[in-house]
Amino acid sequence: MLELRGVTVPGRQRPRLRAVSLRLEPGERVALLGRSGAGKSTLLAVANGLITPAEGGVSWFGAPASQQPLQRRRQQARIGTLWQDLRLVDELSVQQNLNAGCLARWSWRQILLNLFSAQESEACCRALARVELEASLLVQPLGRLSGGQRQRVAIARLLRQNAQLLLADEPLAQLDPPLARRLLHLVLDLGQSPRALLLSLHRPDLVEGFDRVVGLRQGELVFDKPPTSLSTEDLHQLYASSGPS
Amino acid sequence: MTPAGQMLIPALVLLPLLWLLPGAVHGGGLALLLQFWLAALQPSLDPHLLLTALRGIGVTLAIALWSWFLSLLLGFAGGLLSSVAVSQRLWRCTWPALLIRRLLAFPRSLHELLWGLILLQLMGLQTGVAVLAIALPYGALVARVMADQLDALPLQPIEALSTAGAPAWAALFTAFLPPLWPQVLSYGGYRLECALRSATLLGVFGLGGIGADLRLSLQSLQFHEVWTSLWCLAVVMLLLEGTVRWLQRRWHQPLGSVGQRGLELLLLALLLVLLLIPSAQLMELRWQELFSGWHWPASLPLWDGAGWIQPWLPLIGTTLLLTLLSALLALAITPWVLLLLCPWRGCRPLLQLLGLLARLLPPPLTALLLLFVLKPGLLPAVLALGLHNAGILGRLLLEGLDAQDQRASEALRLAGAGPRRSLLVAGFNTVARSYLSFGAYRADVILRESVVVGLVGAGGLGVLLLESLSSFAWIEVVPVLVVYAALTLIGESAADAYRSRLLSGPLPLEGLNQAVRS
Amino acid sequence: MRSLLVLLAVLLAPLSPVLAAQVLRISAIPDQNPERLNRLYGLVAAELSDQLGVQVRYVPVIDYTAAVTGFRRGDLDLVWFGGLTGVQARLQTPGAVVLAQRDVDARFRSVFIANRQALKDLKPFTSIAELSQLKNKRFSFGSESSTSGRLMPQFFLAKAGVEPKDFSGGQPGFSGSHDATIALVQSGAYEAGALNEQVWESRLKEGKVDTSKVVLLWRTPTYPDYHWVAQGNLNKRFGAGFTSKLQQALLELSPDQPRQAQVLELFGAKKFIKAPVDQYASIESVGRQLGKIR
Repeated sequence: MLELRGVTVPGRQRPRLRAVSLRLEPGERVALLGRSGAGKSTLLAVANGLITPAEGGVSWFGAPASQQPLQRRRQQARIGTLWQDLRLVDELSVQQNLNAGCLARWSWRQILLNLFSAQESEACCRALARVELEASLLVQPLGRLSGGQRQRVAIARLLRQNAQLLLADEPLAQLDPPLARRLLHLVLDLGQSPRALLLSLHRPDLVEGFDRVVGLRQGELVFDKPPTSLSTEDLHQLYASSGPS
Repeated sequence: MTPAGQMLIPALVLLPLLWLLPGAVHGGGLALLLQFWLAALQPSLDPHLLLTALRGIGVTLAIALWSWFLSLLLGFAGGLLSSVAVSQRLWRCTWPALLIRRLLAFPRSLHELLWGLILLQLMGLQTGVAVLAIALPYGALVARVMADQLDALPLQPIEALSTAGAPAWAALFTAFLPPLWPQVLSYGGYRLECALRSATLLGVFGLGGIGADLRLSLQSLQFHEVWTSLWCLAVVMLLLEGTVRWLQRRWHQPLGSVGQRGLELLLLALLLVLLLIPSAQLMELRWQELFSGWHWPASLPLWDGAGWIQPWLPLIGTTLLLTLLSALLALAITPWVLLLLCPWRGCRPLLQLLGLLARLLPPPLTALLLLFVLKPGLLPAVLALGLHNAGILGRLLLEGLDAQDQRASEALRLAGAGPRRSLLVAGFNTVARSYLSFGAYRADVILRESVVVGLVGAGGLGVLLLESLSSFAWIEVVPVLVVYAALTLIGESAADAYRSRLLSGPLPLEGLNQAVRS
Repeated sequence: MRSLLVLLAVLLAPLSPVLAAQVLRISAIPDQNPERLNRLYGLVAAELSDQLGVQVRYVPVIDYTAAVTGFRRGDLDLVWFGGLTGVQARLQTPGAVVLAQRDVDARFRSVFIANRQALKDLKPFTSIAELSQLKNKRFSFGSESSTSGRLMPQFFLAKAGVEPKDFSGGQPGFSGSHDATIALVQSGAYEAGALNEQVWESRLKEGKVDTSKVVLLWRTPTYPDYHWVAQGNLNKRFGAGFTSKLQQALLELSPDQPRQAQVLELFGAKKFIKAPVDQYASIESVGRQLGKIR
């Protein structure tokens, strides 16, 4: 589904990513561990095409990332990102936000209509149900929702997008532990075959449901193994302070 | 200095004005002025005249509506094209936006009256001239404000949509427009009020509508007829301002559901379309005639070095002085009157009535009235411009005070502070920023407007311009226009600098939104 | 975006022009009260329409300059111009022809009037040099581009050594029309003013001047003023010989016929006569001297 080969992204002092290679197969759910600044967000930005790496290659769904805009958009339409800051539009209703996931495949008419009236309500209801939200929220302005509700709406938007490759950047960072667990469960559920999931975490205590755990340190890939074989040494290597970094 | 202090300081302008006053008063027409005000109580109700007035108002409204509509279309397109953020999205480079932004500075720099007089030369006598004359500078102004707003919006949502494969335009529409929308509505409403005032003013100079009737009946001293037109105009203006305010407030509150707002917008758009067609017929707007047979006075030379030799320094000096004095006067009046009279119950209604009158009369007509008792010169011009703009600024101040959180001043009042003190400490300080920032913007408008009081001999560039135009001396008109444009552009950036210092952050839409929203 | 364009197209569709049948558009400089102008030119339009068998429409303009511009642009076919505006219009419009003037126009005059209150130091006079009395008085002309209300009075004032900046306030006022000048001087807003003699006489006759408040100071020497100017392309648009038929119709207005008599009376004339073009050379030179013609 996703393949990174020797990806390097230059940074100001040291490379933000250095020769990172990573492969995700359908059905695989991979956790990305590392301290803040280790390059997790950069890696996800390379994975969703926001950043084009200086060196190395990216393949999506078996084909190299295209440079031709239209082609590239078609590839990106199948990649869904759950952003750390959610990046929803506060001024739109929940339903309109959900439908914003469909922009890539919708016609002009539908895109404009979406700004004025409710489109595809049934599909939106189903998406909301998957994230355990009430259908009555659909007409609410997004700005009125609580933090946890907004996070679920962002996930439901990925469902509306019909994304195959799910990327999530620290989705649990701001949440209290019980809520974080429930949400993680939901995301892991969605990441089952035929989809794949790459999720970044800064704490190692939530990795048990994943198929693989990838450790990043100062832009380099340190390990890539199943969570069961994860040792305290691995974690120490990842989180130990090693001078000013 | 506290913001409230900054609001009271402009009153220092009264000192030079009071010093000038004794030399300027002649009082010869005091009886006339009295007749004028008494006539307000007995407007002429002659049915024929009423019909003419209604038709005039209709044409003025039609001009305002069409020019406003076109300026929003122009401004919307121009704003998108000159926004750096949008340009980055669409073309992956910023120079097209910066270029268009520069180009749009020119139409903005000339007052709509000047556009009217120039277009009149090109297109001849038709009401379409007034429509275009307002639409061009307004469009450029709306474009600038739109672009500023767009560039101040957060980019993350749009980035999220484009990395999910959405086309650039679709992402712009979905992630940029909705946050922009309430601001556009509130600013758009304000522009409609401006368009009505501008259409009235252009009428005074013979470009169609009620303004012509106002000027002719005022000049022939038919005061009862003047008031027939004025009262009609007042009703229309109040209705328009009220409706606009009501809609703005309605759309600033989060509604029960977003779809409802979309529906209301669609209905409003439909209503607008339904109004546009009959109004085009009313003012006999014919596009093909408007754009066919452009006719430049080819027999007259446009360019000649001799035209550039003018006493620029005194001309520019007088223009700037006129602008500065009028702007300060406009800023000073309402806060001071409010402060002095606020213990009295009738203070607000009185200010509202006076403000309405000040907005109603186009500055050149106020100036003509002032000439009944003042000698021609700088003073009547300053008073005319200052009073008109005080009417506009004053309404903002009153509405800002009404809309603000009353708890602070309530607390002060309960602690025994009098109404004046609580107004000064709690009331003024909260609205001062938006008031002053809007004042800076109006100063910029006054600089452009200084040309319209040229006819009372205020001196400065405006007088030279009107005189050159009536002599068809294009070789003089061109340099004055160039200097005028340069001056207004400098003024605009000065006002912007002051406003951004005042507000530290992206410029809000003319400071108006703050008052509306707070 | 496309839907926006479609919307615009739908909006503009009903506005496609209905090309009017050939209409002769007449107009006049707005030198008097608009009601009076409407009445007068309504009658003129009806009369010309009957005589020439074409549709005639009166197009009112609010501004002297706009009348000149409208004529140059070809929006107006036949205009009653003042001396100065007529010369300006003809200089800018190749082929324009002078059709007629009133019997009074070849030897036209302006009058200087004053408020009686101000008469303490202003006395009626007969010598042009006495105009210097007006220095430091509040003084109003008519319209900026008026011949009898501004150009010639300013010319005679200059001869007496009075410049516009010599008036009280450093500049003269511009009332906008002859009627307005009378009203403003009568009210005392201005101490003195200058206007068209013919308007002054006719308002006196109509009893619309309060002679207890305003008095005549001085009559100027004569100069040529108002005239009818027509576009040069009328024969092409309305058929061969149209221009001379039009001229004939104007010249043959006679007081024997009720409507024509009314027209003549409103014009303050006994009849229209042919206007020799070269008589306006003097107006042109004064216009150039005072910077109103470049």
